[in-house]
Amino acid sequence: MKKTTFLYCSLFAGLLLGAGACKKSFLTVSPEGTTLEDNYYQTPAEAFAGLVAAYNPLSWTVVSSYAPKMVLLSLASDECYAGGGSSSDNPGMQAWNTYTLQAATPNVPPDLWNRNFTGIARVNTMLAKIGEVPGLTSDLKSRYTAEMQFLRAYYYFDLVREFGNVPLITKELSQAEWFTQVQAKPADIYAQIEKDLNAAIPNLPATVNIATEGGRVTKGAAQALLGKAIIYENNNSRMQEAASDLEQVNTSPVYSLLPNYADIFDPGNKFNAESIFEIVHTNQAGKTWGNWPNFDGNVGVQMVGPRGYNGPTFESSAAGYGFCPVTLDLVNALKGDPRYAATIVNIDSLAKAGACKYTPGYENTGYFIRKFAPLAAFQSTVGNIELNWRNDEIEIRLADTYLLEAEALVRGGGNQTRAQQLLDAVRARVGLASVPATLDNIYNERRLELATEGHRWFDLVRTGQAATVLASKGFQTNKNEVLPIPLQELNNTKLVQNPGYN
Amino acid sequence: MRKRTLTGRLLLFALLFLGNSTLMSARSQTNAWFTSYSQASASLMHSYQDQDGQARTISSVLAEARKTFDVDFIYESKVIPAAKVIIDVDKYKSVEDFLDELLKPYNLKYKKVLSKAYVIYSSNPELKRLIASLIKEDGLSAAMQANTTNDSRKTVITGRISDDKGPLEGVSVVIKGTSKGTLTDKDGRFKIEVENGNAVLVFSLIGYQTMEEPIGGRSEVSLVLTSKSQGLNDVVVVGYGTQKKSVVTGAITSVKASELEDQPVNRLEDVLQGRTSGVTIAANSGQPGSSEQVRVRGTTSINGSDPLYVVDGVPLDGGGLDYLNPADIESVEVLKDAASQAIYGARAAAGVILVTTKKGKAGSMRVAYDGYAGTQAPARKLHLLNAQQYATLRNESSLAGNKGVVFANPASLGQGTDWQGQIFDNHASENSSQLSFSGGTEKSTFYSSLGYFDQNGIVADPISWYKRVTARFNGSHKINSWLNFGENIGYSYIRNQGLGNTNSEFGGPLSSAINLDPTTPVVITDQNILNDPNSIYNSEPVVRNAAGLPYAISNYVGQEETNPLAYIATKKGNNYNWSHNIVANGYLGIMPIRGLELKTSIGTKMAFWGSNSFTPIYYLNGSTSNTITNFYRDAENLFIWDWENTASYNRHFGLHNVTFLVGTSAWDNTGGGLNGNFQYMPVSNLGQATPNYSLPNADKVANGYDNVAHTVSSEFGRINYNYDDRYMLEGQLRRDGSSRFGSNNKYGYFPGGSIGWNVMREHFMPQSNVLNALKLRASYGVTGSDNIGDFLFESTVSGGRNYTFGNGYQIGYSPNAPPNPNLKWEQTSQLDVGVEAAILDNIYITFDAYNKKTTGMLLAEQLPLYVGASGQPTGNIADMSNKGLELELRYTKKVGEVQLDFAGNGSLLRNRVTSLGVTPYRTGATLQSAAYELARTAPGQPIGAFYGFKALGIFQTQADVANYVNKAGKMIQPNAKPGDFRWADLNGDGAISASDREFIGDPTPHYTYGFTAKASWRGLDVLVFGQGAGGNMIYQGLRRLDIQTANYSTKALGRWTGPGSTNTYPRLVDGDPNDNFTNPSAFYLEPGAYFRIKTLQIGYTLPKALLRQWTLQKVRVYLTGYNLVTFTHYTGYDPEIGGGKNTSIDMGFYPQARTLQAGLSVGF
Repeated sequence: MKKTTFLYCSLFAGLLLGAGACKKSFLTVSPEGTTLEDNYYQTPAEAFAGLVAAYNPLSWTVVSSYAPKMVLLSLASDECYAGGGSSSDNPGMQAWNTYTLQAATPNVPPDLWNRNFTGIARVNTMLAKIGEVPGLTSDLKSRYTAEMQFLRAYYYFDLVREFGNVPLITKELSQAEWFTQVQAKPADIYAQIEKDLNAAIPNLPATVNIATEGGRVTKGAAQALLGKAIIYENNNSRMQEAASDLEQVNTSPVYSLLPNYADIFDPGNKFNAESIFEIVHTNQAGKTWGNWPNFDGNVGVQMVGPRGYNGPTFESSAAGYGFCPVTLDLVNALKGDPRYAATIVNIDSLAKAGACKYTPGYENTGYFIRKFAPLAAFQSTVGNIELNWRNDEIEIRLADTYLLEAEALVRGGGNQTRAQQLLDAVRARVGLASVPATLDNIYNERRLELATEGHRWFDLVRTGQAATVLASKGFQTNKNEVLPIPLQELNNTKLVQNPGYN
Repeated sequence: MRKRTLTGRLLLFALLFLGNSTLMSARSQTNAWFTSYSQASASLMHSYQDQDGQARTISSVLAEARKTFDVDFIYESKVIPAAKVIIDVDKYKSVEDFLDELLKPYNLKYKKVLSKAYVIYSSNPELKRLIASLIKEDGLSAAMQANTTNDSRKTVITGRISDDKGPLEGVSVVIKGTSKGTLTDKDGRFKIEVENGNAVLVFSLIGYQTMEEPIGGRSEVSLVLTSKSQGLNDVVVVGYGTQKKSVVTGAITSVKASELEDQPVNRLEDVLQGRTSGVTIAANSGQPGSSEQVRVRGTTSINGSDPLYVVDGVPLDGGGLDYLNPADIESVEVLKDAASQAIYGARAAAGVILVTTKKGKAGSMRVAYDGYAGTQAPARKLHLLNAQQYATLRNESSLAGNKGVVFANPASLGQGTDWQGQIFDNHASENSSQLSFSGGTEKSTFYSSLGYFDQNGIVADPISWYKRVTARFNGSHKINSWLNFGENIGYSYIRNQGLGNTNSEFGGPLSSAINLDPTTPVVITDQNILNDPNSIYNSEPVVRNAAGLPYAISNYVGQEETNPLAYIATKKGNNYNWSHNIVANGYLGIMPIRGLELKTSIGTKMAFWGSNSFTPIYYLNGSTSNTITNFYRDAENLFIWDWENTASYNRHFGLHNVTFLVGTSAWDNTGGGLNGNFQYMPVSNLGQATPNYSLPNADKVANGYDNVAHTVSSEFGRINYNYDDRYMLEGQLRRDGSSRFGSNNKYGYFPGGSIGWNVMREHFMPQSNVLNALKLRASYGVTGSDNIGDFLFESTVSGGRNYTFGNGYQIGYSPNAPPNPNLKWEQTSQLDVGVEAAILDNIYITFDAYNKKTTGMLLAEQLPLYVGASGQPTGNIADMSNKGLELELRYTKKVGEVQLDFAGNGSLLRNRVTSLGVTPYRTGATLQSAAYELARTAPGQPIGAFYGFKALGIFQTQADVANYVNKAGKMIQPNAKPGDFRWADLNGDGAISASDREFIGDPTPHYTYGFTAKASWRGLDVLVFGQGAGGNMIYQGLRRLDIQTANYSTKALGRWTGPGSTNTYPRLVDGDPNDNFTNPSAFYLEPGAYFRIKTLQIGYTLPKALLRQWTLQKVRVYLTGYNLVTFTHYTGYDPEIGGGKNTSIDMGFYPQARTLQAGLSVGF
């Protein structure tokens, strides 16, 4: 008995001690679906996944709140009001509409800031990794690099136009550099944009296979963006340069104006001949509210739909959120224009005619955006309808570059005949007669041709018209040309607030 | 050796002796351990007649000597050798001489312990000490020393002694004023001869209150003994062991099963609420099956403060505790001070709650049934406007906003629809049945039970219900004297349905009932509408009632606020959740040498849960509709395994008592889940839905996840030392390695130490009837929290940063948050000082004061967004402190035939965030369309304090507006109108902006208290259990701010209507230009103090005599009222609002029900 007791107890004690043996490995667990950064970017497929991630912020329409760029820029301009459910529905949008933005205004400034800097950081990460990806061909390496350079230029172009004074970051930041960045002069940002685009242009393909690569950056997109950026630099002595960059796009056989204006915005007609750079949205991801805020659809489409709508044509089962009611200014400007029906829909008159019902929202005018309207024909059959609109946002299209080139030619004293031809081409496409290619006519044409596509606010600001056109909304000169630097960016950093926002 | 029947009073010694050290085994082991003789009570004595030969056993010699010298002998039977001796008792002059002679050859010693009693023992100093302590016991010595009186009128008294669970064995029955007595047998029966009918019997047993019963001429006396709750001799469960309460040096609150019996306790949390000081509990919802928020000594961390639950030694992660049937709980201990917690190291910072389930007892088989049925109703409803009032106020608001009249003739609308009345059920049923079997032998005991619990909700009960089946199998087995094993297995199956959003402004029946206008009817009966082909009732898939009439859709209130009956109809029978939980452990214990115990225990929690739901096609209003049917099914699982090994060694050296404990532990938690959506299934409800339907792949969407494993590997040790139970010293240390800790800080060390002093055991302290016991104690320790997320210390790359190229949806990968390799656990240190005292024989007081500091709380480091990181790195940044006072009181008294018991407790708590690093504040809860967040966490303030504007009354006239200027003479609110709030311009800049806000209230209660009072008289008993909390504010955000047509509370009838009408409730105006309502302010705050009569119970236990013919042990019937009355100034449904981040924010809180129950307990 004593002997067996001893034996068993010894065995048992051994077990106890043994329990402590397998320590380190026991505490090292697998990251389950995430990969340690040190082990990533090791195959061409992983490099491609990194490239996709750099494109990803383009399609953000919801960041910390509902802040699709297209919607925001429309309501900031004289095209639309904020609208929504009430005066407090999405305070950031209401504040931009009334020009009461402050550093602490939630959502809108931080979201625009965040989208673009996230894209820049992903580009910088990829540019740091791409040289050492085993097995990546040099062709792919140079194409990926060019795409990254374009995207960085694109993101910075947005930032410099929206915030003016932003830090210039062209490499991955180390921990020591997180809080030490300072703002660069806008001119330096533009210089970087030009540098990136000039580096990218030779290595980008002229065309891509629409079915498999539609939306990826092309040579034309980079040339167009370069020309556009130079125009935004507002230096008349460089207008000729901008015009020649744009001319290369405008004369390229790749692009042509669509005969039917409304077709440009048809989600069934993506990557059409008029589209130069297009932000792609899909319903394939079938996103639900549980994926918030990572939706791949265009939530902006949902936001501009009429509230409580019940009737034909428009998406009816999830209804819209009633943002961006179109101002009577724009309605009147487009009255009689052949582009009216493709641009604006008068839901109020439909409702009065008994063709539909809807709930007027805040600042309702009865007029709604048509180019991005939530149409029943395009509503998603997977995921939540409101989150899976597949309407793309065409950032740069041929009519835009036509008018930009015309503007550059006029401002730079270039070929006025060509300027007139470009303006005429845009008008002729919708059956309008020629008007003289003056700057005023070109700007007016931009307003009507590109209405609610996110160009108007930038145009008003860069051409100095904002102070008068937006005065009724509360626009203040020398302040509201740019947004306030988000408060969070000022905490513990070396950034300084934009003038007028302190 | 022949077994002898023993006399009572000396066995009482034995019981006391055993009771002091091993209470649990006292009753069963008594007879085997001790034999002794007594001179008295010849009728009970089996006198020895074996005097035929000269050689007699020592026992029989002692028996003779007892008579000869008129003394008692106390000894453990096994110490007396079986040898026979020849000795002439009569020749000795003194008993001492006799004992010297008799015992010397056997190396036995003796000691005179009372005037007429001698203890015989082998050389064990421990025995000496214990005997010495026994002599102090009151009453007994008197009984021992008293002389027997002779009386010729002898009668035999019989009876049966039991407690509330069944018969009690080994109860001492002594005739008062004599030393004559006996013990009850295993059926609780006794028989004693008394000399006259006026005698008084004294019944006593360790752990029970001593009772005196005058015979009063009866021949039968049967009694129920009451257990002595929380006496200083109780045993409490501590981490990896048990301790006598008298030598515990930590702050540990204990709730025993006896305090819960027959009470409406449906969840573990209910056990603690109001019964434990220092523990703040608030319901997260009144919905059946809802969990409750448990905070031990305040909010320990910003990152979650759920305590660690250890069930039968198995540490579980928080949540999913409803698998535990409270009827199976033997005791719950809350380790509140850091020294007690430190033995659980890196997971103990938010407190440790030890749950011990019931075990069987050797002896007869016990079967118990307990069941009740109840009916529940809401305790109160909100006062909302009726249709006429609503229309009047809407007109007023619309006109003020320069819009037209909305309702032409409000008076014609009358009462309208009472939406609350539509969704509340005043007769929601509840019932519970428990059946338990327990028993065993010396070698093996078992406890098993089956339980069923079924509760319907009081709100929308077709879609708010909960059913639970539980089973438990506990056993313990002795293989031989040094080897034992056991198992505890708990299983539960739960099925429930919840009504969706509760305490949310985004719809759900409650929010809808509060916000929907009363002018909308429940169903459409108007034939004009029903027959109109253009009506939405004919063009949309609206929901209809049983009679085929469509549920009405409001023309005024939309968004998520829908007709609640239509909402209920879309959910009814269309979804439920299910879960299976198995929590089990098995252990093996070895005692190779005396005092040393090696134990290994393997435990597990296996949880499997999921849900099935079907979303039909419906149209509830313009913004809430569904056009695609969807069948959703998910199946998820969690698997925890835990292996704990301990070695403990206990030794006595004279009055020194030392216990060592060392151990190791390994713990692993993994899990995952899969779910799928099936769209366009050709069915219309859940009953018909099945994945067997063939659907195109595009209509089947699957998702899933695997949890990152969480592993913890630990070593720990503890030393307890006490001298004479007088000076106590304890130290512990645990080393934890956690998979969540950074590579630079993989292991954490968590020390704790405590000291205690039982002052009353000092010789210089006079024996007193006023102060019976006094213990001072102090402890300090450091604990941690590894509740800090996975892989925050290494840079990882994740997918999901996707983009579409052409027709192809591409998956993009990029780095996540920047890593923090220095990441470590959050650390909490705590100092605790306490006093425990027993006064006036039956009042027990415990008082504690503590100071708890949490440092290095994990916070996302607020990186500038320009860094472009996908996620914020986390750092050990913030600090918080909790200070508090706690008092517990217990009182028991028998007055005549009335037994009184009182237990009360109260706690004060002060929480402050002391640092957030460089972050100035963190925003807290928000409300749809509130202009700003409602709460902030900031240094110097309690966590999540309400933050908002300060209203300085209401502008009564336009002149008031014009006169409201800052120092520079600038009008502060130039656009305000009479009837608007005059906001305080706190920064004096002459305008009202975001920077004019301040802290306006604390959502966390500052004090909590509770008491239980019981009185019983013969078979009748009454119990009152009350509980309260206060010192906090509640933010009443019931009304949807973005729906200006939403209904109002009747408080709105007191709105500003003209100069002088009110200075507190602003005017109603569409658009709310002055942000009177959208600005968070004290306008929405109400004091959250409440006191609640939680339980009121009246019970009747049937007399034993009646039961005996049915061979029943116990039958008790009772009536219980639960949540009968709540005293509060709060005007919402329920002032007890938990819910973590939304604590004390009322957005339509599902109230707790008021319940009436009738119950029955039967013991066989």
